[in-house]
Amino acid sequence: MDNMLDQMQEVFRDVFDDDELTLAEEMTALDIDGWDSLMHINLIIAVERRFGVKFATAEISGLKADDQNVGTFCRLVAKKVDEKA
Amino acid sequence: MSVCSLEFLLALMLLSAVFFYLPGRRPRQATLALCNAGFLSLVIPNAASWLLLAVFLMSGYVAAQLLRRWPGRIGLALYVVPLVVAFMLLKKYEVLSLWVPAWVFDHPVSIVFLSYLLFRQIHFVVDAMQGQIEDASLWAYLNYQLNLFTLLSGPIQRYQDFREYWSAPESLLGDLHEQLAACLRILVGILKIAVIAGVCLAIYDQGVGWFAQIDAAGREPSRFAAIVRFAAIFYLYPAYVYFNFAGYCDIVIGGAALLGMRLPENFDRPYVARNMIEFWTRWHKTLSFWIRDYLFTPMVKTIAENWPRRVASLSFLCYFVALFLAGVWHGSTWNFALFGLIHGAGVSAAKLWENYLVHRGGRKGLREYLKSRKIHAVAVAVNFHFACATFLFFPAELDRCLRTVGTFFTTVA
Repeated sequence: MDNMLDQMQEVFRDVFDDDELTLAEEMTALDIDGWDSLMHINLIIAVERRFGVKFATAEISGLKADDQNVGTFCRLVAKKVDEKA
Repeated sequence: MSVCSLEFLLALMLLSAVFFYLPGRRPRQATLALCNAGFLSLVIPNAASWLLLAVFLMSGYVAAQLLRRWPGRIGLALYVVPLVVAFMLLKKYEVLSLWVPAWVFDHPVSIVFLSYLLFRQIHFVVDAMQGQIEDASLWAYLNYQLNLFTLLSGPIQRYQDFREYWSAPESLLGDLHEQLAACLRILVGILKIAVIAGVCLAIYDQGVGWFAQIDAAGREPSRFAAIVRFAAIFYLYPAYVYFNFAGYCDIVIGGAALLGMRLPENFDRPYVARNMIEFWTRWHKTLSFWIRDYLFTPMVKTIAENWPRRVASLSFLCYFVALFLAGVWHGSTWNFALFGLIHGAGVSAAKLWENYLVHRGGRKGLREYLKSRKIHAVAVAVNFHFACATFLFFPAELDRCLRTVGTFFTTVA
């Protein structure tokens, strides 16, 4: 999971153009400045490209729900990577 | 039937009491289904509307089954495009009169909640196609679409959330605290609609009537009187729209809670948003999230995947398209198109401003900007007035509204 978090951090830093951004599992969209709908789509596309996975519409919106955080995002990506393998 | 009426509220209290004593899942589902059917019979006026409603609903269920088995964008488009055209014909959209003969609109079908059905139906079909809805029975699907608490004006609940409740409906009446909270919410909703929204609308109507009289008489009013009347129109119509709809949501969310059904929230203090992007995450949330998920995201994603270098500029076009559609969804007349386009401009301006701040001071600069309390207060005040100004275009009588604005500015100039 730590490895996944590190990889996701690289993607986040690239998308948000912020080299100081440090991810933690409990962080939500509210903790990262500029994480609006447009940035969310950029983030999804970057993750899809990086890990070679695809997200459904309900998954994309679910990841931005109030009860979701970076940890659930990482776990969903890890699950999709496992399914692909 | 109004959700604020005594009949509805008494029926709701009776239903919640009966529901509490019903043993198990099936009797509770049957009771809810019976109430859904009963409520539906009060709002469907004729046989033609019943027939169209049946076709509309069944087409969604069949399309979902087919697309789940044979998923594909072409198949989805072959279903959704005719569905939207049929919706526009049934709702008699003015824009279609440019291409369609007048007799097509001369039909007796009247389904006031059709736009909400459309949203839920598209969500259901798309999610089924993408494997996010696996075990939808026709029984659950029909009760989801015709759920009396969300039928008329939302909130636009997602099928997955409804399914969770429907599979094991549990009454909340055993929990006194939750019961009181639900009843209090219903009471607050009634006060919002019957008292606050009612007063706001009465004063607004007075103001509009006053300007109409001035116009008709051709006399010049005092500047002070014009400012006071215009302020009433400018501030109280947005207040009326908010309290009326938020009150409605309080009643249906509270009512559903009495039966243990958790509906999504629709409002979160929209008039304290710092910009129009934030406004749409606080105003009619289930509509704006639907538009984000099923219109904006697919549009931007398609652009980003095919023309990655143009995504930054074309995303602004997507804002306009999404908000324009949000506007015309509210009604079939041109004023709603204008309302949507102005909101598109507001959202685009907010995004451009954010891009400028990042360009000027980097992410760190943006963080400091967002932390400033003074800037926050100014931003909220500016955004509030912008939002109020957009509601000048919301009432269906656009001509009357523009005349009012014209008379006001002529008077104070």
